Amino acid sequence: MKVPLSWLKEYVDLDVEPKALAERLTFAGLEVESLEVIGSDFKGIVTGEVLSIKPHPTADSPEHSALSQPAEPGNLLLCEVSNGKDVRRVVCGARNFSVGDKVPLAEVGALLPNGTTIEVAVIRGEASHGMLCAEDELGLSDDHSGLLILPPDTPAGTSLSKVLGPPETVLTLEVTPNRPDCLSLIGIAREVAALYGCRLKMPAASFQEEGPAIDTCTSVRVEDPEACPRYTARILSQVTIAPSPFLARRRLTLAGIRPINNIVDITNYIMLECGQPLHAFDQTLLNEGRIVVRRARSGERMATLDGAERTLAPELLVIADARQAVAAAGIMGGAASGILDTTRTVLLESACFKPAVVRKGSKQLSLSTESSYRFERGVDINLVDWASRRATALMTQWAGAKAAKGVIDVYPMEPKPRNITCRFDRVRQLLGVDIANDPIAAIFESLALPVVQRNGKSCTVQAPTFRPDLETEADLIEEIARMHGLDNIPARAPSHGGGVPADDRPTRAVMRCRSLLIGLGLSEIVNYSFVCEDLLNRIDTGAADRRIVLPRPISADHSILRPWLLPQMIDTLGRNRSRQIAEAAFFELGRIFLKNPAGALCEEEHLAVGLMGAVGRSGLEKRRPLREEDSFAWLKGILEALGAALSFPLHSPRQQDAVPGIALSPLPPGSAAPEGFPLHCFKDHCRMSIILNGENCGVLGLVTDEIRRDYRILEPVAVLEIRLAPLLRHAWETPSAERLPVYPAVTRDIALRVGKDIKHEVIIRTIWKMAPKELTDIRLFDIYKSVELGVGFKSVAYSLTYRSAERTLTDDAVNSLHECVKAGLRSELKAEIREG
Amino acid sequence: MKADDLQALKDAALTDACAAQTVEDLEKIRVKHLGRKGLLPEIMKSLKDADPAERPAIGRIANELKQELASLLESRRAAFQAQTACQTQAFDDTLPGQWRPLGTRHPISQIIEEAVRIFATLGFTVADGPDIETEYYNFDALNTPGNHPSRDTQDTFWLESGELLRTQTSPVQIRVMEEQKPPVRIIAPGRCYRRDTTDATHSSNFHQIEGLYVDRDVSMADLKSDISYFARQMMGPDVKVRFRPHFFPFTEPSVEYDFSCHVCGGKPALAGRGCRLCKNSGWIEISGAGMVNPKVFEKVGYDPETTTGYAFGMGVERIAMVKYSIQDIRLLYDNDIRFLRQLSG
Repeated sequence: MKVPLSWLKEYVDLDVEPKALAERLTFAGLEVESLEVIGSDFKGIVTGEVLSIKPHPTADSPEHSALSQPAEPGNLLLCEVSNGKDVRRVVCGARNFSVGDKVPLAEVGALLPNGTTIEVAVIRGEASHGMLCAEDELGLSDDHSGLLILPPDTPAGTSLSKVLGPPETVLTLEVTPNRPDCLSLIGIAREVAALYGCRLKMPAASFQEEGPAIDTCTSVRVEDPEACPRYTARILSQVTIAPSPFLARRRLTLAGIRPINNIVDITNYIMLECGQPLHAFDQTLLNEGRIVVRRARSGERMATLDGAERTLAPELLVIADARQAVAAAGIMGGAASGILDTTRTVLLESACFKPAVVRKGSKQLSLSTESSYRFERGVDINLVDWASRRATALMTQWAGAKAAKGVIDVYPMEPKPRNITCRFDRVRQLLGVDIANDPIAAIFESLALPVVQRNGKSCTVQAPTFRPDLETEADLIEEIARMHGLDNIPARAPSHGGGVPADDRPTRAVMRCRSLLIGLGLSEIVNYSFVCEDLLNRIDTGAADRRIVLPRPISADHSILRPWLLPQMIDTLGRNRSRQIAEAAFFELGRIFLKNPAGALCEEEHLAVGLMGAVGRSGLEKRRPLREEDSFAWLKGILEALGAALSFPLHSPRQQDAVPGIALSPLPPGSAAPEGFPLHCFKDHCRMSIILNGENCGVLGLVTDEIRRDYRILEPVAVLEIRLAPLLRHAWETPSAERLPVYPAVTRDIALRVGKDIKHEVIIRTIWKMAPKELTDIRLFDIYKSVELGVGFKSVAYSLTYRSAERTLTDDAVNSLHECVKAGLRSELKAEIREG
Repeated sequence: MKADDLQALKDAALTDACAAQTVEDLEKIRVKHLGRKGLLPEIMKSLKDADPAERPAIGRIANELKQELASLLESRRAAFQAQTACQTQAFDDTLPGQWRPLGTRHPISQIIEEAVRIFATLGFTVADGPDIETEYYNFDALNTPGNHPSRDTQDTFWLESGELLRTQTSPVQIRVMEEQKPPVRIIAPGRCYRRDTTDATHSSNFHQIEGLYVDRDVSMADLKSDISYFARQMMGPDVKVRFRPHFFPFTEPSVEYDFSCHVCGGKPALAGRGCRLCKNSGWIEISGAGMVNPKVFEKVGYDPETTTGYAFGMGVERIAMVKYSIQDIRLLYDNDIRFLRQLSG
């Protein structure tokens, strides 16, 4: 809402700095978004009287004719303009003026608001001593359609600043949706009056009724009084369509509305003044000259004033004449019945439409107007007739109109006044401020909220119809808060509340998981919940029927709720790679969204990890060629370290049948993906399901070469995604301390020559299987292949730790235990014991 | 030998010892002065021939010479040896350190975790709710009128199922109050969704932290006090809070709150060329809050007569951008490792 201050001052006597006013309004709940000063002192710009207009005599020289002919014949005019003393010859491009008009003349030496200094300019061979100005050149608006035409009675030579007045300050207010009353100057003036303790001045709305009785001119039938609780019509005849008075045009422009003609301008002027949208019909263009308020008929069409031909939905409330719709109620008028230059008789509509009805209609038509904006928020039903009278008064003044006698006012049910009781103690309790009863009541009165009853404990306020937001005691307390001043509410020591704190261990578990991952050297990323379909399909085409697709996405890039985290993880790695970042270790903790088989929408927290490049190596090692198994081992290490820190039960090697806490199980080609996880992004030979306590909870593996090539990632990329809840299941289990061993341990190394396909896990299992109870630990410390070992063989070396809980082991004792293990390996794995 | 001569001799010996460049030089000096055939034994032998009056002085100086020179020689020898050891066993101690660096916490998580910590000190615990919400929790129960513009498909992501992506974390308030009788003290961080076209300051996907405190006598002064405490903890000890009246359907009275600018201290005029962060206003808009609308209490079955409470929401990205001087909200979702490392915390 744009508020030119000089206009506001028509309704309230106010002498205050604009900046101070803006601040005061902001802190009373009417946020001032901007404060603009429009216009200037217009030094060197005077009123010019146009004495003669001639086409620019295009010069004879060839280059001139080439420039001006034939594309723009006679585009420029050469004018003689009087500044009251002298006559200036000025070249001008506008055409909207004629001899005798008063226009702004910027004399040589004048400085325009846009910074241009006017000099004698030679335009196509003709010297121009000054410039005739349009509104945009004067900094008044964006309008460049023609010269600003000044009031005809302005004497030539009058300085422009005298004509336009001093520079105007325009406030732009952000009016919250609960305050439709402040979508008008009078509404804002009422707030200002309350804030500064001055009086609101209502303008005059009286006029002479000269025409015939209105009943003889027209009729109004409201078919849907619920949607249109009040409709008034007045008839004005002998209207002369003309431009509005200069001041009115200027005010409308400052408020952001383009002046059109006196009748249309008056409807807009009154809407800005009091918040009541009005509509003027040319009554002679209405079939039978009468009004019917009804719902649109099926298939009914109408051309609106903006030139569009629209099909009207059957629920749309329309204003119709005897035959057809002539306006979308409260939204926009129809082209067929609008005010023309020839209009002589006006039917003036001032009505109240139900907010929900206008809102729905506006949505259906995809048409939002100043009018619909106000009706959607609610207009004052008791102001409808005042606005009509005020507009009629202006029409008699500005358009020489004669008002018919009386008014048609269809107002079947006046709303009952709403009385709201406000307890003084409740005000003090809710705001936490000490404010006495008297000032509370005084604030209500100052806001034109009459206190109809009062005792020592409470007062009762009658909510006026212009304040639909006031319904309950809390609404009244808000009035006290904002008028008393929120700055006066004290900020003390913070409150310390009672109540039993909820169990927030799940949240803390997530926070702990995050800290652990950071400690492991991973950087957290946060991606949008929306993902691009194309990206999903590139990473994995599976389970497309389970995706939750947005019915109306903002863009194709954000069209699906992410069904897992890995596509964006891989995308993030690729984006970093494209920025010359060779390595990255990322994780994301976030929600994923899927339809379950029954079609219900589900969401779940997941963890994704992605490694790219030599992240697991220290500086001097980084350039060594990176093998896939390095990346895989790092990722596996991260999972193991995380699991250990989150108290996952360690796999006890002796219990052969026990389920390990965290295990990886290969997913060979052809195997199905664990519930809801992608598989296509992984290399066939390196993709595993992550098994937590025996349950499939995620996937881990190396990203395919094709995907890496798409992103120009040369190095292996290892990623995992896992459901968070099972991973955090043990995070809050309390460990218990066990006694540390008393007797020393003895280690023995062992090196085996075994077939190259025998896996580490098989060897370990074999050792544990025949291990004496004194064996407490097995560590791999070397893997070695060479020709000497023979083709198809490798050497693996382990360090075995023996310890007894009862005594110190002697060398002999350990040796015999160790021999036991060796014998087992020889027989079970056909291993050749090489040393140790 | 006279005492004076001996003193000169002593000074010369110490000077020699200081000037020696090698361990060998030191050994020569030792032999010369302290060796069996050195100067000092000579002096001691000749003591009996000296003037009895000077004898004590000569004895004293000779003793001093012996002790000081021996000690000086020893310390210089140790220094030479240490130096030699350094030269022979030294490695390049200017090579870069070798330990895996820590990762980084995303700025959004930093703000959320810090807020959780701050409010935990006031007795708040964390509550949670789904991103996919029902119209009831997101709008109806929060007293949002049926025709409120925010319900529009212009502003809200509606799903085919009739559910929606929550536009605010406020539905968590309702979910908690339905489950729990007052007093309630929760904060609920989470993702929200609005149909904003993404630009430098808007994101269709963003995070909020909801706060709710409901009890018997909760007042707006409590709200201001707690938000002020949060502001000081989050942004700095001198940061102040101001309220501006505003409108939200689920609070009455409603406010927006600003923090005083932590960069210029709320005094942009003193900041030289002005303050870019607060655009010279001294204040930074943060978010909205208010006293829980009694109609919301009715929805969850609380007695609006005996119960009062405040609620606030704050934009996590907004606070992160303000705190870390981030110019473009999209950087928070771009996940460039160089950006993340700048703000590691």
